[in-house]
Amino acid sequence: MKIKFELNHEFVEVETTLSKRLLDVIREDFDLIGTKEGCAEGECGACLVYVDDLLVNSCLVPIANVVDKHVVTIEAFSKTDGYQKIEDAFVKAGAVQCGYCTPGMVMAVHELLKQYPNPTVEEVKEGLSGNLCRCTGYQSIFEAVNLLIEGGYLDV
Amino acid sequence: MFKSYRPHSISDLLDIIDKETCHIFAGGTDIMIRKRQWQGAERKFTQNVVYINHLTELKGIEETEDAYIIGTLTTQTDIVKSNLPEYIRRPYELMSSPAIRNVATVGGNIVNAASVADSLPILYALDASLELASKYGKRIIKVDEFVLGKYKTNRQTNELLTRVIVPKYESEGYFYKKLGQRKASILSKISVFILHQPNNIRITIGAVNDLVIRSTELERQFVLDKDIASLLSGYKSLMNGKDDKRSTKDYRETTALNLIEDYLKEIKDEL
Repeated sequence: MKIKFELNHEFVEVETTLSKRLLDVIREDFDLIGTKEGCAEGECGACLVYVDDLLVNSCLVPIANVVDKHVVTIEAFSKTDGYQKIEDAFVKAGAVQCGYCTPGMVMAVHELLKQYPNPTVEEVKEGLSGNLCRCTGYQSIFEAVNLLIEGGYLDV
Repeated sequence: MFKSYRPHSISDLLDIIDKETCHIFAGGTDIMIRKRQWQGAERKFTQNVVYINHLTELKGIEETEDAYIIGTLTTQTDIVKSNLPEYIRRPYELMSSPAIRNVATVGGNIVNAASVADSLPILYALDASLELASKYGKRIIKVDEFVLGKYKTNRQTNELLTRVIVPKYESEGYFYKKLGQRKASILSKISVFILHQPNNIRITIGAVNDLVIRSTELERQFVLDKDIASLLSGYKSLMNGKDDKRSTKDYRETTALNLIEDYLKEIKDEL
């Protein structure tokens, strides 16, 4: 059946079944491969996307739950000013190694700083608790978050 | 093969489940994992699936004079951000990760009825009731009568959990602790929830047995005699869990009783 939703600020229609995962539709039907499949069980956060401004694991969302909603993937997010600041901070802190977790991690960092412009260490850990990174040991990611806090991430 | 439905109204939904046995799919954060399949494929559902997440009438929190009424599709994030008392919000805040809480629903955690469901100890302690609807009407059932075992409930296949009714409780204090392999994004090895007011205490223990442990008899006795040792041996006798991949029976029982003991020593004089 035809499913309609908004993807990265454009109205789209796709021929699929209700029970297909949003992750697979994004990657296979729209060829947007920034969103990754890691664990496929909601633990690793590599597949995070926004659905109607809420961060969700796209590996756990069937397309049925996306009908008429607005999905924003890393491809669209990477065109924002916020993204640019996060990228700069990640580069400066060396927060990227293999890069597989990075698209999800970047979105989680954005969401964290949106919720808590000045987070405590505990809030940072809780905000990023749904994102696994097997390379960095997280310290450089926390450092990147600190750079963003110091730089006033949300003051545009 | 299975069929997937996305009905436009609750009454259409009730018609569908009256005719066919379906997975009722809300947030789906548990069933999507249990029915996992290779990349690109549909999940391996063994029954027809009916999607209900878009039925917004089933979402939201109402307050009456003596209860909070929570729609089944209210998400865990909605609870965390609500004005509900902290002792209700806190356990939801500690469940899973932010992105999962944005999707996972209050009703899902109950109907799924996992032995590790972190919302159940709270609902048991507060004497919550559930409203179930079918094509033929509604019924209300106490949560401890609804959950029958691990992944087993009293829900009939033509019924939908619509609302959770949580009676208000004037709490003088509460204790909530869950233990797991890491602090966030983890299933509980055990959880302990305690609520109290003068002359009343509620104690529930989650994830030790298949069902939440609560004994109103032990609670009443404790308020009378303040005898911690006999209370603990009472709870010990109710524990019948097993070793599993998350923890051992010994660890669970010992830590649960220790947590209860520590907190009761602290508050004994306030009861």
